[in-house]
Amino acid sequence: MAKTLILIPLEADGTVGKAARDLLASALAADPGADVGVFGKGAKQAADVVPASASRVLVAGGDGLASPTAANDARACEALVRASGSQLVLAPQHSRTARCLPLVAVRTGGRIDTRVAGISLGAETKVRRWYYRQRMQAAFTREERPWFLLLESGALPAAEASAGFSGAVEEVSWEPCSRTQALGTEAAIAGEQTIRPDADLLLVAGAGWTKKQSDGQTHVPEAEELIRAFLRATGASLGSSKSLVDQKGEGAVISFLTHMNQVGQTGSSPRHPKGLATCCHGEEPHVVGWRFIGERRAINLDPNCGWAQGKADVLYVADAFAVLRRLNELLG
Amino acid sequence: MSNGYHIVVCGSLVPDPLQTLEPVMAPDGPGLKNEAMLPSVLDPWAAHALYEAAHLAKRVPDSKVWLASLGPKPKLQQLMMAVAQKAPFEFVAIDGSASGFADSFETAQALAKAIQSIPGLDRDRMLLFGGCSSASRDAGTTLSMVGALLGVEDQFLAVDEIEPDADGGFRVKERVEGAQYLVSRCAGAPAVLAWATGNLPEPPNNPQIGMANMRGILPALAKAPSVGALRGGLRFESVETPSQRRETRVVKDAGVEEIARELAEWIRG
Amino acid sequence: MEQPDVARQTMEVDIACVGFGPAMGGFLTTLSRHLTDAEGRPLLESRAMPGMPPQVLCYERADDIGFGVSGVVTRARGIRRSFPELDPTAIPMACEVRQEKTVYLLDPIGASRRGAGLKLVDRLLRPFAGKRMALELPYTPPFLRKHGGLILSIGQFNQWVGNQLMASGTVQIWPGTPVQQALVEDHRVVGVRLADQGVEKDGSPTGAFLPGMDVRAALTVVGDGPVGPVGRQLDEVFGMPEGHQRRHWAVGMKMVVELPESCELAEGTVIHTFGFPEPEIFGFLYAMPGRLASLGIFVPSFLDSPVRTTYRYLQHWMRHPYLWRWLEGGTMRSWGAKTLAEYGKQGEPYLVGDGYARIGEGSGSTNVLTGSGVDEAWTTGAQLAEGVVELWRSGQPFTRENLAAAYERRRRESWVEAEGRVAEHARDGFTRGFLAGLVGMGLTALTGGRWHPKAKHRPLPSLEEFCRGRLTAGEISRLRRRAESEGLPLHDLVMDALGWPKVEHDGRLLVSHQDALLLGGKVQAPPGFADHVAFLYPNLCERCSPQLCVEVCSGQAISPNPSGGAPLFDREKCVHCGACLWNCPTETPEGGPNLAFRAGAGGLHSAEN
Repeated sequence: MAKTLILIPLEADGTVGKAARDLLASALAADPGADVGVFGKGAKQAADVVPASASRVLVAGGDGLASPTAANDARACEALVRASGSQLVLAPQHSRTARCLPLVAVRTGGRIDTRVAGISLGAETKVRRWYYRQRMQAAFTREERPWFLLLESGALPAAEASAGFSGAVEEVSWEPCSRTQALGTEAAIAGEQTIRPDADLLLVAGAGWTKKQSDGQTHVPEAEELIRAFLRATGASLGSSKSLVDQKGEGAVISFLTHMNQVGQTGSSPRHPKGLATCCHGEEPHVVGWRFIGERRAINLDPNCGWAQGKADVLYVADAFAVLRRLNELLG
Repeated sequence: MSNGYHIVVCGSLVPDPLQTLEPVMAPDGPGLKNEAMLPSVLDPWAAHALYEAAHLAKRVPDSKVWLASLGPKPKLQQLMMAVAQKAPFEFVAIDGSASGFADSFETAQALAKAIQSIPGLDRDRMLLFGGCSSASRDAGTTLSMVGALLGVEDQFLAVDEIEPDADGGFRVKERVEGAQYLVSRCAGAPAVLAWATGNLPEPPNNPQIGMANMRGILPALAKAPSVGALRGGLRFESVETPSQRRETRVVKDAGVEEIARELAEWIRG
Repeated sequence: MEQPDVARQTMEVDIACVGFGPAMGGFLTTLSRHLTDAEGRPLLESRAMPGMPPQVLCYERADDIGFGVSGVVTRARGIRRSFPELDPTAIPMACEVRQEKTVYLLDPIGASRRGAGLKLVDRLLRPFAGKRMALELPYTPPFLRKHGGLILSIGQFNQWVGNQLMASGTVQIWPGTPVQQALVEDHRVVGVRLADQGVEKDGSPTGAFLPGMDVRAALTVVGDGPVGPVGRQLDEVFGMPEGHQRRHWAVGMKMVVELPESCELAEGTVIHTFGFPEPEIFGFLYAMPGRLASLGIFVPSFLDSPVRTTYRYLQHWMRHPYLWRWLEGGTMRSWGAKTLAEYGKQGEPYLVGDGYARIGEGSGSTNVLTGSGVDEAWTTGAQLAEGVVELWRSGQPFTRENLAAAYERRRRESWVEAEGRVAEHARDGFTRGFLAGLVGMGLTALTGGRWHPKAKHRPLPSLEEFCRGRLTAGEISRLRRRAESEGLPLHDLVMDALGWPKVEHDGRLLVSHQDALLLGGKVQAPPGFADHVAFLYPNLCERCSPQLCVEVCSGQAISPNPSGGAPLFDREKCVHCGACLWNCPTETPEGGPNLAFRAGAGGLHSAEN
């Protein structure tokens, strides 16, 4: 097996995020002799979380990594990769790794594949990933090294490992040089209509909410209030179909939806145990946006909605306004 | 000296998202069934990048926009009929595979080479735009590697907003985990901005823009370099459409009360 | 709602073209060959932009040039004249016609509406029809034969033609750009106005309002098909030639089907059917390369049902045992519908006027006797191009007289005209019944059009009249009440009551109407355009029952309004077939249908049709 480096980014608060910790455990279980590299301000302290089975622990820290910039992250990671000499670099799919590792791959003469859904490590490493917006999956390997792989959660079998690395943590030096300064973070969406990646439930609002209802009129203010009340009651994350987000300038719109809420097509494919689609009529929310939703239910007035059929576990042919009105009472 | 940006938008074609896609495995790697017949659109993320580029070029005097597209020549030509009325740009065409199964590094190399040979492009003023992902490979790495190959270190991924300042720098908002924006300030070009959706609507078709663009599009297509299949060292073993079909229970004649109760139980459970 | 007072951008070009279909393909292909030499040097000079080659722009409503509807069998005389070396394998889904069959389908269900005469014929034929309930005619009538011709997907053919045109660099084609109207000044067409963008569904401006540009041109070429708004505007402005009228129409609905692996239908096979699901409904099946078939039916205006529909009939037709043996286990790849201008030469408008010329189906070129329209349309386009080049070279303006001499004369002297004349009244007999129609067609063909049946135009019967002898007034009234209370169109309920069995969906080929729309037609409506279907006097719709626009709508885009009045229109389901327009039974006080069918964007997104 080629030598492996597990590359761990730090969060803004200097901690190792859950996805990174899971990867650390599962990757070391699959490849016990792997090196671990940690980058971010305070990397040395954060390296405490590394399990005992790691072969070497390399860290790149310093003020230059206090706030993430592509240039400095890339330089730090390049130093870690070169110091490890590994041919295979595994990292969690994360905004920080996704942004800097393509640069590192180019500089080290390597290649990178991202959003890896499954991986088998061994004499020949093979990976699986989705193509064409989660419509098809391919399994492949490649010749070039070093090979950088960004792994989605669940790409490796889950494993438990507690911290315990007792060897020397090696600090790797690197030269910060960024013309960019990260100023901080701000909430992209505030209020109950936000995106909650850890929520148990995803509510997908479709364009039907703004269409004429059975009385021939639109009821957008009521739709907005029903959706908000549902989110308050359930703590669900809010997703939306592209057609609803795109309606800006088309008359009736749900005022608080943005492209950030969009699932499917140019939106996200979020992961939640449950999903409830309301008034969605179209392929994207059901096929692409729902790919990683566990249990799926839909409320739609059209029993022939071909997209919900075969995609949802239960399709309620009903008026979503009436159902949510009552559901909010029950949940409230 | 001018402070305007030279914005190069990298964007290729993808199958119209409404089409039914079926993978097929050929001896030289996977592809799509009837790929030549599938109608195409400009990759939706790249399209957002193009609209943002046009918007930025309007705001910052003396800026210019190029659109660099890698795809099979006849398809690029057809794509231009749909895109060229949207925003003013100079076209840079590269004849090669736009398949999602092409190698992202090979694609990046072909694009970097084409960008290096754009006459009149001032690389110190260059902003490299594109999508933060694609509807074909969905890797989110190509643009970053083009930047790396061109020596551009300041890179931003999943950008929704750029705000230029008076002194040549700009602020950028990037999407990061937890519905947050990472706000950064960059000292100025050159930089790479891989766009999420941005905040601009799709512009209307403007026939005058189309007429003006078209003058450069055909010459660009005529001299498009050919770069082939761009498979790199990838070795595909299989490609398949996993079964998506669920047994859907259709509840047709239940009352609101019954449905709401069932859902409440399901949500709580 | 048009915005009359806004400032509009204006652009000067030489030739503005409306609609990219086979006719415009023929026009632009022929024209482009005369605009530059092999080295790309201009052979003609622009009058709008001196020093440049002529500026020729074509605007197409659909979102891509390949989103046409028809599967076609054609003798391809005109097309082959333009492409003498044509190799069908260069065009996806195209092949040569190898064998043709004309088949009479008996009714295996017993629900078809057949008169006493036809029932007798059926009884006589039944012993020869076998278990397939069909009789293959010993030979295909000569007027229908396409042997040696081509089977084409119009979507793929348009794409093939359009790409060659774009590559020539001599003309520009802009899809996704509906033309709102022709610009008419002093009885002269001086160009076109594009549709407003950035408007609400009712046409009122939003913050992103972009008024449609005025494209001024010395010549406007109109090829926007049988229901195109520009062609119809010209009919209104300039009137129709005396005696010409548009009475015969049809909705053509079709699918492209991936045939099951076991299917033995040979590539190049052409099958014409008649007799089922209703006697008046003709069907077609063309076997294409790659185990694909293009198939569908035509529901004509002479099917005098006040609840006529197409989708369900299409499914019953596919399920006929003669066809189902090939189709069972197949998968729908594509679906669509369009209006056919079956009026042909009867409805020919003025072909030329000052500043404009008309080509293609909307100009009455479709031949209903030979069942051919694409090649005729292509040829009229090519004829116009030859005329335009002649006028350009001799420096003559595009006046009515000059265009008549250069284009109309060519058309009148050609096979399109000669065969169009023969066919002009070929279908008139169907207004008197199915058998009279068949006999009329046959005799028209035999006598070369010297004899033809006389039309007997009758108003559409009421639902009660249509169902007389099969459903009681009480039953019909119950169906009406149910449709009203459930907000449904009537046609399904009526067909159920008349004995048509429910179609069991298999999720692949037999799917719900909405699935056909979404999975097959991939219908889409871009935002920012006004609704293109509007009901002019909602109070008149209130009195209309059954609302035929709802019944006939190919995409279920027009639905009953639960609060009464005008039906509801959902642009996102509209395939732009235009059937609502010619089916509207209600006349406004000004004359004409109580339904406006305007320039609109979007529609089908399938290029395999």
